[in-house]
Amino acid sequence: MAHTEQMAPARDILRTYGIHIVLAALIGVTAILSPAFLSGNNISNMLLQAAPLGIVVIGQVLVILVRGLDLSVASVMATAAVVATTFSGQDSDAFPVFVVAMLIGLATGLVNGLLITKRNVSPFLVTLATMTLLQGMRFAYTQGAPSGNVPPIYRVLGSQTFYGVPYNLMILVVLATVFSVLLHKTTYGRQVYLTGGNPVMARLVGIHADRITIASYVISGGLAALAGLIYSGFVGIVDNWVGRGFELDSIVAAVMGGVALSGGRGTILGGLFGAAILVVVFNAVLMLGMPIEFQIIIKGIVIIAAAAIYVRRA
Amino acid sequence: MIATFTFLTKRRGGLLTVIALILVLTIFGVLVSETFGTASNALNILEQSTPLALVSLGQTLVIITGGIDLSVGSMISLASVLLSGITNGDPLMMVVALATIMGAGILVGLINAGASIYLRVHPLVVTLGMGAILQGLTLLYTQTPIGKMPKGFSQLAYGKVLGLPIGAVVTIAAFVLTAIFLRKVPLGRYIYATGDDATGAQLMGLPRHKVLFLAYGFCGLMASIAAIFLVARLGSGQPYTGQNFTLTSITPVVVGGTLLSGGRGGVMGTLMGVYMVSLLNNLLNFLSLSTHFQLIVQGLIVIIAVSVYVENKRKV
Repeated sequence: MAHTEQMAPARDILRTYGIHIVLAALIGVTAILSPAFLSGNNISNMLLQAAPLGIVVIGQVLVILVRGLDLSVASVMATAAVVATTFSGQDSDAFPVFVVAMLIGLATGLVNGLLITKRNVSPFLVTLATMTLLQGMRFAYTQGAPSGNVPPIYRVLGSQTFYGVPYNLMILVVLATVFSVLLHKTTYGRQVYLTGGNPVMARLVGIHADRITIASYVISGGLAALAGLIYSGFVGIVDNWVGRGFELDSIVAAVMGGVALSGGRGTILGGLFGAAILVVVFNAVLMLGMPIEFQIIIKGIVIIAAAAIYVRRA
Repeated sequence: MIATFTFLTKRRGGLLTVIALILVLTIFGVLVSETFGTASNALNILEQSTPLALVSLGQTLVIITGGIDLSVGSMISLASVLLSGITNGDPLMMVVALATIMGAGILVGLINAGASIYLRVHPLVVTLGMGAILQGLTLLYTQTPIGKMPKGFSQLAYGKVLGLPIGAVVTIAAFVLTAIFLRKVPLGRYIYATGDDATGAQLMGLPRHKVLFLAYGFCGLMASIAAIFLVARLGSGQPYTGQNFTLTSITPVVVGGTLLSGGRGGVMGTLMGVYMVSLLNNLLNFLSLSTHFQLIVQGLIVIIAVSVYVENKRKV
């Protein structure tokens, strides 16, 4: 017994602060090996890349909290990006572009949520299907070769900084704050945790679990569309694959950040730390001159390892 | 008579629906196109469905255990570049390459099963991660189509036995053997038991670990064999060959009535599902709709199929 009592705090510290330790260690080691890593330019660059991922992660965390998974986020992003260039490409069209892209994202989320709750279909399969569906629609619409320009204001939001602080990072900070407050300070937030943690209990105490679940998917779809617009401004050119890989990245980030795939446990801040680790790892792979394919391999190993570490908590 | 009919529709409702859909699609195809109803087009569909059929066969077993394998697409890509890359036109090296990729397929499957058993991570996450690792390895090996196969290897895709494409014969044999295995061999029954109620199966002393290793190992092997037929058709291995197979391999399984929750379904439903999907894609080609529409249709089919079957299960 004494042994367990002594061990428990150490293990708790590792579980609670493990991700921060890993992030600090990663930054430290990479900075020693490659001095350019901590240059202002590179840090700005990393933050610019981190913001769209972070925005998607917020939605993914909300979905995973209610025992779900959203694989359609990357497809929503790319579709939003294609929409962004459909109009004249002038700032006067920035608002219509925003409305159309958001509608696509929210509608996708609604379809996901309805099928998952009302038809009881596995989230993974539903979102995989809507992902494919959107991909097909996008390809049929663009004939495989999208063209046109992103309205300049999205270029500013996606790729420029205000005294070194990227605009898209400011958007992320605002969104993360709003949704964290919603999760931790409101009834809605407690309902999200209960719905994911114990759906039967949630129903018994009178929570509309279905509505809470649908809301998560709708939010995730909307945030993915927003991230797609911002990311298209970062990339500058459109193609059919803007945001490719974000579905896996956002899930990896959430799982690394301690969001339990079994639902009901985890925070947005944790997910954002996970996203930060991913971005640092990706950047480190480049800075240390490794082949870029290592990014994908490391991602694969990391998600299995992270899931394995956190599963013992349950 | 009526009792038999109700029994049939209840137990085999999914299968009958799929067969009925295949008939409807065929009639529709014959009406809209003169060349659709020809024997050569039918053989064409049979040949083209081979890789999908083989992956879906492996996927069915995994899904019956209550799991899922999202690494098959990347496994196909890796196996196809290794096959033509190692062979590079040399018939002797081809033997080495074939042994390598089949071994690799089985190994990947065993790792998938082992990770989900011993790390206690859901197969969804394990195989998602494995898929990323395999795709990374594939791109590390090559970013462009690589190597070539010896002369005559394309016979595997275009040759015929008894008037049927070789691939179709292999497919049907593989499905029949697996169906018999699932029904008659105790280990085959244990696959259903494990998927239906993992804890119960383990309490009864059924070899749950063995079942999982078998299902995932078989699935990995099938992905490699599918890659062999793909390379035979394409002439060389390409790093993104398998990309679309991950979802595509699950579609026929759910369309054929195997439940994602495990424990129910069978391989013959999957085979019919494969033929339905292939027929539909073929029909879309005849209607001169771009391949983009195949994605749309596929997404819709999955959504409709899973909704329908879930309702069936609830009624029981």
